[in-house]
Amino acid sequence: MSCPKTEHILQEYFADDLAPLASEEIERHLAQCPICSAELNALLQTRDALAGWQDSQVPHWDRGMELFRREHQAPRTENSWFSSWQWLPTGASLAMLCVLLLNTSVTVSGSSVSIEFGDSDNADISANLADFQQQQQQELQSIIARFEERQDNNNIQLLQAVVAQTQQATADNLDRIYTYFEEQRQQDMETMRVSYQQLVDSDYATIQSLQDLAQFVSFQSNVQ
Amino acid sequence: MSFIDEDEALIAAALNGSAFAWEKLVKRYESKIYNHGLRLMGNSSDAMDLMQEVFLGVYRNLHRFRGDAKFSSWIFRIAHNKAVDLNRRKRILATGGSSDDEGPDLDRYPDEHGDEPESRMQEQQQNGQILSMLTQLPFDQRLIVELKIYQSQTFEEIAEMQDISVNTAKTRFYTALRKLKTVSEETHVLP
Ligand SMILES: [Zn+2]
Repeated sequence: MSCPKTEHILQEYFADDLAPLASEEIERHLAQCPICSAELNALLQTRDALAGWQDSQVPHWDRGMELFRREHQAPRTENSWFSSWQWLPTGASLAMLCVLLLNTSVTVSGSSVSIEFGDSDNADISANLADFQQQQQQELQSIIARFEERQDNNNIQLLQAVVAQTQQATADNLDRIYTYFEEQRQQDMETMRVSYQQLVDSDYATIQSLQDLAQFVSFQSNVQ
Repeated sequence: MSFIDEDEALIAAALNGSAFAWEKLVKRYESKIYNHGLRLMGNSSDAMDLMQEVFLGVYRNLHRFRGDAKFSSWIFRIAHNKAVDLNRRKRILATGGSSDDEGPDLDRYPDEHGDEPESRMQEQQQNGQILSMLTQLPFDQRLIVELKIYQSQTFEEIAEMQDISVNTAKTRFYTALRKLKTVSEETHVLP
C-alpha cells in the first residue's frame, strides 16, 4: 500500500519556504491521504527524537592556552617587574571611556585631572552617547590642551580619535574605539619597553632619562 | 551593552595578546563545537580531535577574521570543513573501506562512567540513542541532518556550503530522515 505522491509531498513539506499555493496543495493532499499523513507523523517523531539531544559536557582540555601563552607572552616574563606598569596607559584609556559612556564630569585643576561619575544609575548608555554634551567636548579639548603642553603625542592622538568618533556618536564605533585603546596600550607598552631597554643597554644610566621615565609614569598615574 | 559584539571585542583583545580573552572566546564555543563533533563523528575521542583542530584553525586564522560574517558562522564553517577532512582521513585509514559502518563507539561514550547524577545518565542515554541512529547514516546525510536540525540552516545555506543544489539538499535530508525513521523503528521493536 503506497501513494505515488509521498516522496514529492513530504520532501516539499520540509522545505524552508513554500509558495502559498504549493503549501495549500500539500495540506490538501495530507488531509485526504492517510498513507502520506501517517508517514509524515513518523518523520516528525523522528525529527523530534533527534532534537532531544542535550549538550554533553566537554572533557577537560587546555583550550590552546599553552600554545597561546608560548606565542604571546614570552617577552613579558623576561621583564617581569615591568608588567606592573603596563596597565597605567590602560587606566587612562578606561578613564576616557568612562567619560564617553557615563554622564561624567571632568575637571582640570592645577596639575591633575579628576573625573567624577555623575548620576548614571539608570543611564541609557546609547542615549548618553547621542547627546554627548558640548560642554564635555570642551572639557575634553582642554584636556587635550594640557596633554599638548606635556607633548605626549600618543595621548593626543588617542583623545582626538575619541573626540572624532564621538562626534559621529554612534554606538557602533565603540568597539573600534576599544580596539584603538588596546592598540594604543600595546604601543605605550612598546615605548616603555624600548625606553627601559635603552636604559639597560647604556652603561651609564643618566639621571635625566630616569627622570623622564618617572615623569611619564607619574603623568599616567595622575590621569588615572 | 548588547550593541557591542562581544565576540569581536574578544577577538581584538586576543589578537593583542590577551590570553584571558582567548580563553573566554574558546569557552563560549567549545561546547557547541564539541557536541557538533560528537554527532558527526559518533564518539568522544574523535569529537575532541575535531574540536582541537577547529580551535587551532581559529587561532591560526584569527587575524583573517573580518567582521563581515558573524563569528559563529565562521567557526562553524571551519568546523564543517574539518569534519569533512577528518572523516575522509578516517575512511582512508580504515583499510580503504568505502562503507560508513564504523558504528557508534559506545564504549567511549559517555566518556566518564561512574556515579553520575540521574539527569546526566538520562541525557547520556538519550544522546547515546541519537548517536546510534545518526551513525547509521552515510556521512553526507549525517552532515545534512546536523546542519538542518541542530544548526537550523536553510537548504539554501546547506547547498551553498556543500556545493550541491538546493534540490539535492532537500532530497538528501528527506532520505536521511526516512532512514532514521526506519532505524528507530527497528531499535524500538527490539527490547
Ligand atoms: Zn499520499
